[in-house]
Amino acid sequence: MGYTEVVVKKPLLLKVLPFVSIGAFLLLWEWVVVSGAVPSVLLAPPSQVFTLFVDKLAEPNPDGAVLAVHAWISLQEALIGYGLSLLVGIPLGLAMGWFKVVDDLARPIFELVRPIPPIAWIPLTVFWFGIGLAGKVFIIWIAGIVPCVINSYVGVRMTQPALIQMARTYGATDWQIFRQLCIPSALPMVFGALQISLAYCWTNLVDAELLAADTGLGYLVTMGGRLGRPDIVVLGMVCVGISGAALGFVIDCIEKNCWPASEGRQ
Amino acid sequence: MSANASAVKISVTDLTKRFGDLTVLDNIAFKIKTGELVAIVGPTGCGKTTFLNTLSKLMPPTSGHVLIDGEEADPRKHNISYVFQEPTCLPWRTVRENVAYGMEIKGVPRGERMERTDRIMDIAGLSSCADLYPNQVSASMVQRIAVSRAFAVEPDLLLMDEPYGQLDVKLRYYLEDELVNLWQKLKSTVLFVTHNIEEAVYIAERILVLSDKPTKVKAEITVDIPRPRNFLDPKFMEIRHHVTELIRWWW
Repeated sequence: MGYTEVVVKKPLLLKVLPFVSIGAFLLLWEWVVVSGAVPSVLLAPPSQVFTLFVDKLAEPNPDGAVLAVHAWISLQEALIGYGLSLLVGIPLGLAMGWFKVVDDLARPIFELVRPIPPIAWIPLTVFWFGIGLAGKVFIIWIAGIVPCVINSYVGVRMTQPALIQMARTYGATDWQIFRQLCIPSALPMVFGALQISLAYCWTNLVDAELLAADTGLGYLVTMGGRLGRPDIVVLGMVCVGISGAALGFVIDCIEKNCWPASEGRQ
Repeated sequence: MSANASAVKISVTDLTKRFGDLTVLDNIAFKIKTGELVAIVGPTGCGKTTFLNTLSKLMPPTSGHVLIDGEEADPRKHNISYVFQEPTCLPWRTVRENVAYGMEIKGVPRGERMERTDRIMDIAGLSSCADLYPNQVSASMVQRIAVSRAFAVEPDLLLMDEPYGQLDVKLRYYLEDELVNLWQKLKSTVLFVTHNIEEAVYIAERILVLSDKPTKVKAEITVDIPRPRNFLDPKFMEIRHHVTELIRWWW
C-alpha cells in the first residue's frame, strides 16, 4: 500500500515572476518621482526611502527612536493583542458552535460589538488604560477576536452530521463529540482564523498607535505626516507591510508543521 | 435446531413512529436471538432508515419498546453499533485509530483496545494499511473500516444500513463474504438492512420483509442454507424468488 509523492518542478519562469513584478513596481515608482510627474514633496522615491532606512537603523531623529525600537514596540503590542484574541476568540467560537447555551449567551453581545470599528474604542481606552501599552493591546485584541470567533464557530458547524450520529450510536457524550469530532473538524477553519486575525491585528496597529503613542511603526507614519516628510511616512508603511508579511509567513510555516494533514489533502 | 434454545437478545414490541400525521412505522414487532444475522428488506422509501434510527435510539419512538436483554435499549448502557450508508471515518485518524474509535468512546482499556483492533484488522484485511489515512485508501476500504469499528466494540446489536449499496458488484460479493466471516468469528447479533434481495439471501439466517408505508413486518423467511452459499443453488434461487414475489406483490 505504498504511495509515492510526486514532485513537480516549477518552471524557471514562474520562479522569476515575483521578482520581476516587484522590480518593475519599484522602477516605475522611482521614475514617477524622479521624472517630476509626482512632486517629491508628495511622494518619496524608493531610493530615498532606502537611504532613510539605512540611516534610521542608527539615527533616532527626527522622531525620537531608531527603527528597531519602533518595530520592537509595534511587534510587542501586536503579538500580545493577537495572542489574547486567539486565546479568547477561538475557545469562545468553538464553544458557541457546539453548546447552545454558550451561543445564546454570547451571540447578542458579539453581534453588537462586531460592527463597531476598533478605532472607535480609542477614546474609551484612553479613559480606561491611559496611553500605555495596555490601551493599544486592547484595540488590537478587539480587532483580532472577531475572525477567531466567526471562523471557529463556522468550523464546528461544518462537522459532518454523519460523524456525530456515528459517535452518538456508540454512546458518546456531548463533551466527547465536541472534543473528538468538532474540534478536529474545525481546525482548518481555525488555522484560517490565525491568518485573518493576524492581518486584522497588524492593520489595526497603526490605528492603535494613533492613540498618543511615542514609539512604534504606526507612530512613525503619523510623525512623518506631522513633519511633512513623505519619506518617513513611506518608510513606516513599508516596514508595516514587510513585517506583517513576515509574520504571516511564520504562521503559515507553523500551520504546515503542526497540521500536515492540511497539505495534500484535497 | 439449537437456535431454538438460545436466548432472545433483541425484542421489539409495538414499535410505532409518527411524524405529525404521517405514520412511518406501524406496530412493528419481532425478536432476534443472540448471535443471529437478520436481514431486513423492503421497497424503496418504506422507512428503513427511520426504522434503524428508532432502533438505535437516535430518534425516540412515538410508542413501543426496543429491549436488549430485557432492558430498554440505551446507547450509553448497551453496545449498539451502526454502520451507515455514507462513509463515517474520521479523516484525521489513521485506519487503526478509526477502527479503535468506537472502543475508545466505550472506554475499553488501552491494552485490550490495541489487541482487539489488531485482531479485527487482521480478519478484515486492513493490516496492510493500518497507518494510512482514510483519504489514502479506496472507497471499499473506508467501508471496511466502519464495519471493523462496529464489530470491534463487541456489540449487543449491530445495525447496518445498506453499507455496500454504493460499491460495485465484485467488491460487494467480496465484502459480503468478509462480513459473514467476521460475524461467524465474533458471534455478534447483526441486523442488516438492504434493498438487494440477493445480498439478503446470501448473508442472512432470517429475512424480515417490510411492507410499504406505514411499515409493518410483512413476512419472515428463514434461510436454512448451509454456508458457504452458492447463488446458483436451487434452494437459494427458490428463496430469492419467494422474497422477490413478496416485495413485488406490494409494488
